Amino acid sequence: MIEFIDVTKTYEKNAKHALQHVTLGIDKGEFVFLVGRSGAGKSTFIKLLLREIDVTSGTVKINGYDISRLTKKEIPYLRRKIGVVFQDFRLLENKSVYENVAYAMEIIGRPQSKIKKKVPNALEMVGLAHRMNHYPSELSGGEQQRVVIARAIINNPQILICDEPTGNLDPDTSEDIMNLLTRINNFGTTMVVVTHNQSMVDRMEKRVVTLEQGVVISDESKGRYDHGFF
Amino acid sequence: MASFNKGSTLRSILREALQSISRNRLMSVISVLSITAALMILGIFVVFTLNIQSLTANVESRLGMQIFLSEDYTELEKTNLEKALMDNPNIVEVTFEDVLDAKEKFSDELENYAILTTDLTGEKNPLPVSFIIKVDKPENLEEVKAYVESHSGNGVEYIRYGDNYVDSLLRFNYFVNILSILVLTVLTIISFVLIYNTIKLTIYARRKEIGIMKYVGATDRYIRTPFVFEGMVLGLIAAISALLLLRLGYYYFFGMIKGNVVIPIQSLLASPESVFKQIIVFFIIYGMALGAIGSRFAMKKFLDV
Repeated sequence: MIEFIDVTKTYEKNAKHALQHVTLGIDKGEFVFLVGRSGAGKSTFIKLLLREIDVTSGTVKINGYDISRLTKKEIPYLRRKIGVVFQDFRLLENKSVYENVAYAMEIIGRPQSKIKKKVPNALEMVGLAHRMNHYPSELSGGEQQRVVIARAIINNPQILICDEPTGNLDPDTSEDIMNLLTRINNFGTTMVVVTHNQSMVDRMEKRVVTLEQGVVISDESKGRYDHGFF
Repeated sequence: MASFNKGSTLRSILREALQSISRNRLMSVISVLSITAALMILGIFVVFTLNIQSLTANVESRLGMQIFLSEDYTELEKTNLEKALMDNPNIVEVTFEDVLDAKEKFSDELENYAILTTDLTGEKNPLPVSFIIKVDKPENLEEVKAYVESHSGNGVEYIRYGDNYVDSLLRFNYFVNILSILVLTVLTIISFVLIYNTIKLTIYARRKEIGIMKYVGATDRYIRTPFVFEGMVLGLIAAISALLLLRLGYYYFFGMIKGNVVIPIQSLLASPESVFKQIIVFFIIYGMALGAIGSRFAMKKFLDV
């Protein structure tokens, strides 16, 4: 599903490498935690996947297709296959919960008839059907993150990338969000979760890839957060 | 890939653009006002140029020459001259004006001063007879004059034509044309910068939204369209405001001249109807194009995510 083949990324000439010769494969339907200290290269990894930035050398493939070969016009279509969840939610404050989710479908030109059917279903799935007409400011952090998740999955992406999805949430709420992500993963969506949440990673017993200074220092199928560091 | 529904997409684009204008009301109003001002200054120049053109056209249409015959001209001299005039290819029309014609014309021109002309009857009429000729192009006037002089003989008293007048009017028209192009260029740049900045502020205010759109997989065109549309709407509003104000102003000016000036100048000026018929399409296209291009440039940086 996702292949990084000897990927190196340098932001400025002669500067430190953000990623160094990273080779990594993620299969369809896998659930992978990406951990590491700040500046270890996690964000670079995500940006490369979304083709926000280009590799300095090496190849990034999605479904066997080298995404560096995509033209600027084709990039939006790549992003439609990948849902993204951010730590800071990034909801539109002036739109209701329903509108925020519907927006993602409108943007890619889905007809209103489909939007009206699908959005309530997605909100039902994340447990927010009853909050449909509220505005983001009226919701708790956990609820806002659920809206973001509903928005990220509304177009049936093959991959869901979560950048610190529980970074701003308390432990109980984080637990709920993780359970939700696991459920989505069970439907077959490949999941890449970047996190600092150590106890969460340990408890989930999923594959853990640890980055340190742009290098993969450990990759374990039932990993723990600290394995790479000690 | 996706079943693409044009109708709902277009509707949401229009909605976004109009929402954005009302959300950034102050900035939108400021840029509309500025573009209106720029277009008005431009409009004043256009109106001015059109009037100069109208005046020159008027003069050009009368590009005649009047050849006055002396009081004691002979029939032979007259027919010889007439023949010579007919033979010249640059002379397009030859009219003979006898004493009565001259009086009638004089009376027409002095319509309001009839008392001056009522006494001009029969023998007492001092007005001379003349040939009025029309020349094809203003540039040929000099040549025709020389030709007429060489064929005049004794019967001709003097030749009259508005050489200096025509010359300076043509030169003035040329000058005004150049000036209009300069003003148009400068104002286009100013308006462009104004629209560019307004849309840039709008975009800046909505950069979060644009970021989300990019992540969800919106195409650049989809993101750009509402902003370009917004620019076009601003340009259109500015164009219409400028047209209305100009029209009002010109009507006022025109009416003022018509009521208060003795010389019959209003017939030489371009009428408000003809002026606005000429600029309305230009202003609207110009305003909308300026808005669209300004937004498009403003978008460029923000789309490289």
